[in-house]
Amino acid sequence: MRLVVDGLHKSFGSLEVIKGVSFDMDCKERLVLMGPSGSGKSTLVRCINWIEPPSAGRITFDGKLVEPGKCDIRRLREDIGMVFQQFNVFPHLTALQNVALGPLVVKKMARKAAEAEAMELLAKVGLSHRADHKPGQMSGGEQQRVAIARALAMHPKLMLFDEPTSSIDVELIHEVLDVMVKLADEGMTMIVVTHEMGFAKEVADRVIFMDQGLIIETGTPCEVFEHPQQERTQSFLSKVDLA
Amino acid sequence: MFKWSIIFENLPFLLAGAWTTLSLTVVSMIFATVAGLLVGLMNMFGGRVIGAITRVYIEAVRGTPALLLILIVYYALPRIGLNLPQFPAAAVSLAVCYAAYIAEVFRSAVESIPKGQSEAAFSLGLSQAQALRHVILPQTFRRVLPPLANEFAALIKDTSLVAFISMEDLLFKAKIIGARTYNVFSPYIGAAIIYLIMTTPVMQWSRNLEKKGE
Repeated sequence: MRLVVDGLHKSFGSLEVIKGVSFDMDCKERLVLMGPSGSGKSTLVRCINWIEPPSAGRITFDGKLVEPGKCDIRRLREDIGMVFQQFNVFPHLTALQNVALGPLVVKKMARKAAEAEAMELLAKVGLSHRADHKPGQMSGGEQQRVAIARALAMHPKLMLFDEPTSSIDVELIHEVLDVMVKLADEGMTMIVVTHEMGFAKEVADRVIFMDQGLIIETGTPCEVFEHPQQERTQSFLSKVDLA
Repeated sequence: MFKWSIIFENLPFLLAGAWTTLSLTVVSMIFATVAGLLVGLMNMFGGRVIGAITRVYIEAVRGTPALLLILIVYYALPRIGLNLPQFPAAAVSLAVCYAAYIAEVFRSAVESIPKGQSEAAFSLGLSQAQALRHVILPQTFRRVLPPLANEFAALIKDTSLVAFISMEDLLFKAKIIGARTYNVFSPYIGAAIIYLIMTTPVMQWSRNLEKKGE
């Protein structure tokens, strides 16, 4: 897996949210994206799997330039898992059905095999006992873990996490972070938008700090957190530390 | 003056009309629902041209009386060689009319599903059609039932328009009794009661569903 983002721009109407962002990452790398709200970090991860089509710029995944033909983008999405801030689990399906849906529909896997694998993934995120429950009966932390298992079911080469803990009750955040740390330990390549400093310090190989649609600073967690070079990074970190 | 006896004596006659009303409603509703779903989906996902065509159809139907459509199908279409018997003509006109309303029911139901649902489906690699079939439409099912039940009740009443093409539905039968007995009061009241017996349970069911949905 190798991802190259080159000169990415994204505008909504006349509002330019990403103003030319370039970075690349290799297999097993763990990237944490940080920045104040409105800095474009969520939009950036949503552009990588074309949930938001970029306005300009190039994305190369595994050496292949992603062209906006529909099939190409669907192939790309099979290889890139995504976890959303609002979970977006499917409320009409049980946890098991949520996880099995991708393999069943997209990979045309046999139901038995898909459900067996879904069961394993639910065990992995600690939710075996919830397999037959619907999202409405689950806590935010549980729903988000179902969402992670659902993304993993497609065997992605890269996982995108868009503020995965921002909508979860404080006392349940660790459930989700634990699963993410476990994934990182297993060597999953991931890009995580988060303000969880502890997670970033523990897991990230590289921290990218964004502001107003641009990458302001990038480096190891130690470099960015302990010795931020840019004023905007410093002021942001001082606010996050207080909170 | 109003006489119960006139209603009772002519009850089988009225009920025969009610049967016509009900069967016409059911047949029209089935076609209208299937067509409405298709038109709604084409309007939302068919692209610019199909979207515009279906929009014109929806607005045209919504902006004209249903009666006009019935008269066109039954009296005007035969002039260009499209000859439909009474029942099919009535069913087709009502279905064409209600499909437009039902298309809007499906559209607003689909639009009420949070955007994140289709985003999550797309992020797994599902196509637009797969996302609709497996993620979006199953979730709209409960939301469309109450408004669909309302449309059904409205359709029961609107079938009375077919009296204009001399179809012997409940209203037309009441009119016949009125002419025969020189008492218009009783048969019309009788017809009203039978209409209410048909529509009230449907509307009540719709209200219950809505409450359950909340």
